Amino acid sequence: MARRYDSRTTIFSPEVEYAMEAISHAGTVLGVLAKDGVVLAAEKRVTGKLLDLSSAKDGGGYGGSGEKMFLLNSNVIGGVAGITSDANSLVNYARTVAQRHLLQFNEDIPVELLAQRLCDMKQGYTQYGGLRPFGVSLLYAGYDPHYRFQLYHSDPSGNYSGWKATCIGANNGTAQSLLKQEYKDDIGVEEAIGLVLRVMSKTMDSTTLGSEKLEFAVLTYDEVAKEPKAKIYKPADIDALLKAQGLAKDEDTEMKS
Amino acid sequence: METSFALTGKGYVIIAADTTAARSIVKMKVDEDKIKELSSHLLMSYSGEPGDTIQFAEYVERNIRLYQIRNLYPLRPAAAAAWIRRSLAESLRSRHPYSVNLLLGGYDIADHKPNLYWIDYLGTVVELPFAAHGYGSYFALSLLDRYHNPEASLEEGLATLKRCIEEVAKRLIVSPDRFKVKVVDKDGTREVEL
Amino acid sequence: MNSLIQRYAGSSAASQQRRNVSTVDDDDEFSDAMWGSEAGFGSLAKGVPSFMVPSVPDPAAFLRLHTDDHADPSCKIKIQHGTTTLAFRFQGGVIVAVDSRATAGSYVASGTVKKVIEINPYLLGTMAGGAADCQYWETYLGMHCRLHELRNRERISVSAASKYLSNLVYSYKGMGLSMGTMICGWDKTGPALFYVDSDGTRLKGDLFSVGSGSTFAYGVLDQGYRWDLTDEEAQELGRRSIYAAGHRDAFSGNTCNLYHVKEHGWDFIGNYDITTLHYDGPGNVSGSPGHGYGYEIRVEGQTSANPPEVVAQA
Repeated sequence: MARRYDSRTTIFSPEVEYAMEAISHAGTVLGVLAKDGVVLAAEKRVTGKLLDLSSAKDGGGYGGSGEKMFLLNSNVIGGVAGITSDANSLVNYARTVAQRHLLQFNEDIPVELLAQRLCDMKQGYTQYGGLRPFGVSLLYAGYDPHYRFQLYHSDPSGNYSGWKATCIGANNGTAQSLLKQEYKDDIGVEEAIGLVLRVMSKTMDSTTLGSEKLEFAVLTYDEVAKEPKAKIYKPADIDALLKAQGLAKDEDTEMKS
Repeated sequence: METSFALTGKGYVIIAADTTAARSIVKMKVDEDKIKELSSHLLMSYSGEPGDTIQFAEYVERNIRLYQIRNLYPLRPAAAAAWIRRSLAESLRSRHPYSVNLLLGGYDIADHKPNLYWIDYLGTVVELPFAAHGYGSYFALSLLDRYHNPEASLEEGLATLKRCIEEVAKRLIVSPDRFKVKVVDKDGTREVEL
Repeated sequence: MNSLIQRYAGSSAASQQRRNVSTVDDDDEFSDAMWGSEAGFGSLAKGVPSFMVPSVPDPAAFLRLHTDDHADPSCKIKIQHGTTTLAFRFQGGVIVAVDSRATAGSYVASGTVKKVIEINPYLLGTMAGGAADCQYWETYLGMHCRLHELRNRERISVSAASKYLSNLVYSYKGMGLSMGTMICGWDKTGPALFYVDSDGTRLKGDLFSVGSGSTFAYGVLDQGYRWDLTDEEAQELGRRSIYAAGHRDAFSGNTCNLYHVKEHGWDFIGNYDITTLHYDGPGNVSGSPGHGYGYEIRVEGQTSANPPEVVAQA
């Protein structure tokens, strides 16, 4: 029986194991850390002809369709995989934490500190009786003056770790071995965008990439404004990017299918 | 009269505070250190209501240390200034507000800049190239307007500080006779002899 | 005068009405004219008796702000509380520099006040404290200096002139005079400088500054002062010191008036706008640094940052 609680090096309760299991079937989220930026991409699962996407057309206030990519603070983009409702709650919490830090210290929250604060809460939900853990893993793409660009991952147990490139959700094993092969230490943000899209196109179930199945975000540093610049792509931007990268769906194949 | 000065130079902040602890017309102590080292690259001088000064300085000191322990890296000077300001502003609206005036000098290792903040008991924060508290400020500020050099070497900076101290000694009725001087730069904080 | 007659002439309509409200409107301090267009009967017309007061939250505090009740609680209005004046003796004579701002409480009443009083062609007096007091008594001093000249066939010494003023104000001590002045001139002894105030203090010295901005002026003055300053350096030091006070002291500013007392008497050197001094400097005059006096102007483009070489290149 003891083995049930022993997963690799960390001991988890069954509830946490179930949450982790659920996440491994969720839409993929992939992140790559470059020397001058961080790139995130995610596979959307909630699609369909009848889904009203009118509010997502222009990407709301800051871009994205609001399913997997969230601006947590002006210096951190979060990508979520798992139970959407749990994720919304965590995103709300993260934004509150970041704003409270801004109010108290008059600076953007350091990225690791934000991840830490979320993990403190996640951990709490694994410990107290009768509480269900958050069924969410997150990738944090962020910038702060301490360690410049950073990429973190946190899981439902409240563990977090920093990565050069990582992936959560469905097919994360495949994606990670691809990243391991192709990642170079001095990768630039433009190269990273290409890498992310290539890996996504190979790991996603669908044969072609398009804005209806993909979310995309890049965090860079604006040298003029002297502050990080978070860009969560709007659907039209994603299609334009895919076209530029030669990964856009062929008009003819679409007609045939 | 309590007086403190601070000035920035190329890659450093100097903070100087008088060393007298007075009660009524009596000097109780002549070698009191009124500059705390809050972290490896952060200095704070404090003056004001006796009792409040030490209590508040230690409260700040402990909280800054706690942040460093919890979060692995220390607060940057700007963030520390914001936090201290907030503490004073909250204190001001309490039943027993702290009457403490501060000079916060730090070297930001993230962007390689020396930072100096003038903070008063009302919770006002201003970032300045040079600053002063107490009656000494009435003599030193115009002097620093004239002689301060943001690119001065440490020796030049200390010479300018000396001018301030000598001016106060010359013109202020009950001028402090000794100052403690500390410096913070990329290598951390240290005390210097004038 | 009219209002006084009216007040005590029993048959006037005004006094008739006044008697009707005398129980509530017992204002023996002020004349009718002072109460504005309603001739003091505004309260009667409205039915509810009330005083006319300044339309501010705390009229008493407002009035206190505009009067000099620290020096004399009984005085009505006194301006010219904040100021900066300085004078110093050096090898080339006496430099006299003053600002030109007149304040009444927090109100800037004038920006073009002449705070150097030209007592006669070889004596100058500075003005701090009550403007009227300084102006009146220093002019009066001028009269007595001339009388001394006529009676004794020689010019009065600066020492004697200042002593005359000192004795004069001392005789009025406690009666509300407010003056802090420097009497500057050149006599047989050479350049001379005396500080005289309404307390009765009289001091001989090389360097004085008087007024709310004096500490700021001292800060610059003391550090730049030497006996063997050249004329140009000395004039520049006077200008800079008044600029420093005009910049840091809210009750001083607008312009700087500069005088130089030499053996032949005083010369007026110039009038300098403090804002212009801040941004552009004193212009094409001897001793000018060629740029603005302002800190931000002086250090423009300089930085205290010292990034390591590698970071600087990246």
